[in-house]
Order: sequence, then structure tokens, then C-alpha cells
Amino acid sequence: MSEEMVTRFKSFNYKQFLIDNSAFVTLILLIIVATVIMGGTFFNAGNFVNILFNNAIIGIIALGMTLIIISGGIDLSVGSAAAFIGLITITVINHTGSIILGVLSAFASGILMGAFNGVLAAKFRIPAFIVTLGSMQIFRSLSLHFWNGGGVLLGRIGGTPVEHDVLGYRTFATTRIFEGILPNGLPLPVLYWIALTILIAIFCKKTALGRHIYAIGSNERAANLSAVKVTRVKILVYMIAGALVAFAAMVESSRLGSMNSATSGTLYELQAIAAVVIGGTAMNGGRGRPIGTFFGTLTLGVINNLMNMMGIPSFLVGAIQGSIVIIAVLFQMTMTSKERQF
Amino acid sequence: MALAVEMKGIKKSFGANYVLKGVDFAVEKGSIHALLGENGAGKSTMMNILGNVLHKDEGQIFIGGEEVEPAKNPRLIEEKVAFIHQELSLVNDLNIFENLYLGKELKKWGLLDKKTMSGRASEVLERMGVNINPYTMVSELNPSYKQITEIARAMLKDAQVIIMDEPTTSLTDVEIELIFGVMKALKNQGISLIFISHKLNEVLQVCDSYTILRDGELIVTGKVEEGLEEKDLSTHMVGEEVNTEGIYKPRELGDVVLEIKDLSREREYKSINLSLRKGEILGVTGLMGDGRTELFASVYGVNSPYEGKVIIEGKEVKMGSSNTAMKNKIAYVPKNRKENAIVKDLNIKENLVLPIMNKISQLGILRNSVLEDLTSEYVKKLDIKLGSTENLITSLSGGNQQKVVISKALCTNPSVVILDNPTQGVDVGAKMEIYRQIVALAEQGYSFVILSSEVPEIQRTCDRVYVMFQGEIRQEFSRDEMTEENIMLIATGGKL
Repeated sequence: MSEEMVTRFKSFNYKQFLIDNSAFVTLILLIIVATVIMGGTFFNAGNFVNILFNNAIIGIIALGMTLIIISGGIDLSVGSAAAFIGLITITVINHTGSIILGVLSAFASGILMGAFNGVLAAKFRIPAFIVTLGSMQIFRSLSLHFWNGGGVLLGRIGGTPVEHDVLGYRTFATTRIFEGILPNGLPLPVLYWIALTILIAIFCKKTALGRHIYAIGSNERAANLSAVKVTRVKILVYMIAGALVAFAAMVESSRLGSMNSATSGTLYELQAIAAVVIGGTAMNGGRGRPIGTFFGTLTLGVINNLMNMMGIPSFLVGAIQGSIVIIAVLFQMTMTSKERQF
Repeated sequence: MALAVEMKGIKKSFGANYVLKGVDFAVEKGSIHALLGENGAGKSTMMNILGNVLHKDEGQIFIGGEEVEPAKNPRLIEEKVAFIHQELSLVNDLNIFENLYLGKELKKWGLLDKKTMSGRASEVLERMGVNINPYTMVSELNPSYKQITEIARAMLKDAQVIIMDEPTTSLTDVEIELIFGVMKALKNQGISLIFISHKLNEVLQVCDSYTILRDGELIVTGKVEEGLEEKDLSTHMVGEEVNTEGIYKPRELGDVVLEIKDLSREREYKSINLSLRKGEILGVTGLMGDGRTELFASVYGVNSPYEGKVIIEGKEVKMGSSNTAMKNKIAYVPKNRKENAIVKDLNIKENLVLPIMNKISQLGILRNSVLEDLTSEYVKKLDIKLGSTENLITSLSGGNQQKVVISKALCTNPSVVILDNPTQGVDVGAKMEIYRQIVALAEQGYSFVILSSEVPEIQRTCDRVYVMFQGEIRQEFSRDEMTEENIMLIATGGKL
């Protein structure tokens, strides 16, 4: 070993490593526990693909949530927004027969909803919690009103099939690749999720806007005095998150071929926030990593999967997930408070 | 004379970092003892051990001649020693006596016994020579009275030793006098005070004895006697003679780059007229609350609206945001580095280029080569001492953090740099270095406005100084006229 490597090895800080990668470590431990309990039923490629597939939608929403929380905000409206966007998308496709128009309307409505939250929170300085609590209800209520509390089916308007062939929209989420290598192949949403995670991670680390988000979350005053356009950056964050919600809503509506104004997207906001927190992002902003959120989402997914396999009543899933969130935050707090030196 | 505190052979380390290497420290009963040293010398650690915030690794502590073992019996030491931190721990929405009795309220029939509490609070305040109603809300107190409330809390629990960590940094001269009065009153009652400060003139003025630490070791301890000078103390603190000579250099000044005409903002400043020339270093001084910070926050665009005109290179500009200021080549180093300038979750180079991140990006992606070049340019230019630019900014000492903050202002390529309290929390050695850099930059054509209450700071760097009092510019002094006496006279509202 060279001199430098020795010192580097010595200065390796296990505690810091644990703090930085708490979500990854938790996930690995959980996988070990699950494997010990369930053996091959849990530990096989097919099941892993399933876990990834089942959590891609929350995972993509949680990426946007990560950005918002790093910037010092929060978004409670993502679940309602996802439902609203999905309903709009399918309705547009049904009526126009154009998938492209559907996709455009999804992104347009998602970004617009993000802008709505962002402008109120950043420009009018209403606390983000309040703004998005309000918009959560607004988006849900508008969905319920316009779709009469019911849902829409792709390719059908009021029970009668539409004349255009629109079922091609479903290939967006249901196509599987690598079917020769993996038992059931790899559904595209898993790839979308991984690709978006990498993209957002690079965005956070390498772009001016990404660094500005961290600066604002860490010290908004200093950012403003350093000529960072705080209001603009904050609005953009909500818009980017809105676009990611739109992407997730498309995956969901394409996967199911339907969307429901009463049930779609419920509690997505809480699951997304939980994934972000488990992923090690600081709730008061300034610190956090998209890759952590990726592992945080998977942690929740593995717990779900394991409890399913063990036959634990599904009503109890929430209790276990909630406990994990609290433990994650407790862990973060004890680790960071011990860091402090006088 | 009897010793109130004696600490022997105190050792303390954080991991592999030895902060105290066997330090002896003693304070006489009924005296004011200064504890001096640069940032990182170990004085805070030493006092945190005495105040039972931290535990020592080795050594003995005696209070009033008796050995105490804080790890085993924390109450004993907590009763005798009070630690008044720089960040005061008062509740703004309670009044004085409620703060004094916070957590140990007196009760009668299960209800608060306000009468006894306020009565005893009055007694304590009286003993300190302060006349103030204990029913006054803490939010209404000025900083010195908040300080006094903290001291009163220590008095109430009958502390024999009071540690005061830089109590005067955010106070005006009048307020400082008030605090000194209280300190002397306490000393005469047999209480010992430990005074931590960077301001050496205050040490000479109020302290009986001093101890200087450097790199975790005791350097010297002695009495404050006739003939002891600031220079003697600072030499011990830095470890070498501080060279204050030859910082200022006369320069050729260019055209007017910044002009302020009849600028006013309600309750902050009024009818301000001033001008700044290319390559000039202009001082603006006065007491705390004279309006200079607000005035130049307006000039930078973060304190609007205002009345009057800001004219930059002959053209009037409406200053409404920090971005407008940057476009018009005005840069700003705010006071209170921690709150206003440092982004603690970003690393050193990201902090340095924060204002120009967009400019050094291509398609939104930061260009790493430009980032590296810029950072190493300023590390060299301002002689910033750091390990790696990838480290968090908080890993640097105060002086080096300040240099990064100044670099941040310079990297926007400004023509005017406003520095508000540029050497706050910076130790003597680094201070002189920052002054030298400012003068060197002025020689290259940068213009500076330095806002400061420290007259020596103004004298060492400025070509001219404006003295403010209650929101107005009262007097302008040229370099030959800017004596301590002249400036203090105007700053306190007097006339020549």
C-alpha cells in the first residue's frame, strides 16, 4: 500500500459512510433478513424485478420530492396531481386518438400544477406545507368533479369503444425487454426509473441549477445575497417535480389502462416523502441525494414484498412502514448530533 | 489571594486532534481574567470543560480550593460556574424575571409566585448596578440588557465564576461601557469573571489579569499592568510580531464610480450623499444602529424601496435585487458570515463561485475546468489556506472562510466591493492579511467601501471615512484627520 492509501484508509470514517449511505446499508440488511426468512422465494431475479416494477411510480415521484425537500420545501399534492394528470391524459387520448397529444397534455398539466405550487410558495411566500395541502385538495376535488367521482378506461368513452386504436399507449409501461435473460423480462418502467435517478443525480451534482437548489435549502439568505435567483429556482424545482409526477402518472395510467378520480394516487405523497426521508435527505433542506431516495423507495418496497410473502395482514403494512420512517429519522438525528463538536 | 478557579494539566482531544495539551489555568477570587488566543487555540474547549459542556480527558479542576470531578458530580460545578455563550439563551417572548426563573419557577399554592420572583430579580439587578423593571419583555431589550439578563441569571444561582464568551462583539460602545460597569460591580462583590475576547483594547481596559493560549498550550499568563500594550498580547497570540506597518499605500484615484444622491429610507437612514472613486477605499463608520448596514444593503439592492438616486458610472440604476447589483458590477460581503454568507452544505469551491455558477456553465452543466481555475486563482490571490477545495466550507478557520467569502464577491468581476464588518470573528494575523489584500486589490483598480465600527480597521485601510450617527452622515474625514478621538466624537453625536 502506498503512503497515501494508508492515510486514506486510516482516515476512512465509518460513521460518515453510514450517514451518507444509510439507505443503502438499510436496504442490504433488509435483503439479508428477508433472504434468511424466505430463502429462494424472496431471493430470485424474478422477485427483484417485481419489486422494482411495483415501486417505479412512487420512485419517480420521490425523485421530484427529493429536489423539493432539498430546496427547503415540501409537496403534499403529488398524489392528487398524479390522479388528475392520469385522468387528463387518458381522456385526451380517448377523445383525440393521439397518444402524442396525451403525452403533451400530461407534461403540460404536471408542469402547470408544479408552477401553481411553486409560485404560491416562492413568490407569495406562503409556507409550502400550506400551499400544497390546499392544492392537494383542489386537484383531488377537481378530478372528482370532472369525472363524477368515477374513472376513465383507455379506449372507451362511457362504456363504448372509441373509433381510434389507442391501446398502443399501454406499450409505454407494459413492454418487457431481456425476456431471454430474465424469467419474465424487464418491464420498461424499471429502466425509466433507473435512468431518471441517474439523470436527476447528475443534475443535482453537476448543474448550476442543481447546486443552487442545495444552496437555497442550506442558507436561503446567503444564496439571495450571492445573487442566486431564489424565487425563480424554487418555482423551477416545483415545475421539475411536476414533470416527474406527470411521468409517473403516465406509467400508472399506461400500466393499468385506466385511472380513477377517487382512488388513484392516494397516499402517494406520504410514501414519496417516506422514501426521501429513509434515503437520508434532510427534512429542513440543504442535504440529500437522489440515489439515496432510490434506495429509500426500494427499502419500503422490500418491506412490502416481504410482508406479503410472510402473509402478514396487509392492514399492518402501514404500521411497519411508519416505524421504519421514524427509525430512519431517529438514526439520522443521533448520528448528526454526535457529529457536532465544540 | 485565594483562587476561585484552578485547572491543572487539562488535556482534551477529539479523535486524533489534540485540542488541549496539558493546560494550566487559574483565576483569582474577585477579579476579571482575560482568556485570549486565536481561533482554534483551545480557549472555547477549555471553557466548555470548566462550564461542564465537555469532559476533560486528563487533569484536575479546583473550584474555591476544592477539587471537583464534573463527570461524577456535575451539579457541584454547575452551581458554581455559569457560562454565558455568545448566542444568548433567552426566550424573547417572556419578560426578564420569567427568563431568570425559567425551569426553576417559584410557586405558591401551585401558581407562579410572581411577586417573590420579580422582587428577587430586582434585587439582583440592583446589586449589578442596573436599573430596569423586571417585567420588561426580553424582546424589547437592546443587546446589552439581554447580556445583563444572562448575567443576572448567573447571579441568581449564586455562581462564583462567570464565563463570558465575547460578550461585546455585537454591542455599541455605550452598551459596552454598561457591561463593563456591571462586570466591575460583580468583581467588587468577590465574583470572578472570565472574559473571552478578540478585542485587546477592551482587555487592557477592564481586565486584571490574562492568560494566552496557542495551539492548545499555555503561552503566558500575567497581570494587566501599566505599560502592557496590545502589541505584547497579540504577539503572544500569533506567535510572532504582528506587522501592522505599511498596510496602507497611497494610490492614484480614478473617476467617480459610485455616487449616492439624497438617499433615504424611513427609520433607517436619511439624505445620504456620498461618492466613491476608482481605486479608492472608503470607510463608513459609526456606532451599532447608525444605519450604515441598511444603507449599503439598499445600494446592493436587498433593502428596497428607497428614495433618492444610486448612480453607477454616471447612470442612475434602480437597485431592486442582488442580481441587478451584480450586473452593475457591485459586489457585497455581508456581515455575520455564518447567517448571511456561508452555505454550509456546499464545498469550498462551490461557495466561492456561487454567484457566477450560471456564467461558468455550458448548457446548464458546470464547467469543472473553469471552476478549478477560478478557485485556484483566488486561493493564490488571497492566500487561502485549505486542504482540498472539495472540502466543506465549514472545515476552514474563520479567517479563511472570510477570504472565501471575499473571493466570492471578487469573482463576479465587480468594480465596487462593499464589505460589511469584513474581519468579524477573524483572528489578528488573518485580519492584517485581509487588510493587505484589500489594499493590493485597490491598487489594481477595485473600489472598496468598508463598513466597520473598529476605528483601527478604518485607519489601516481607508483613504477617507464618513462617520454616521442615527442614520445621517455627520462628517467626512480625510486620512490625516481620522483619529480615534475625532471619529468617536462624531459617532456618539458630538460636533467638532
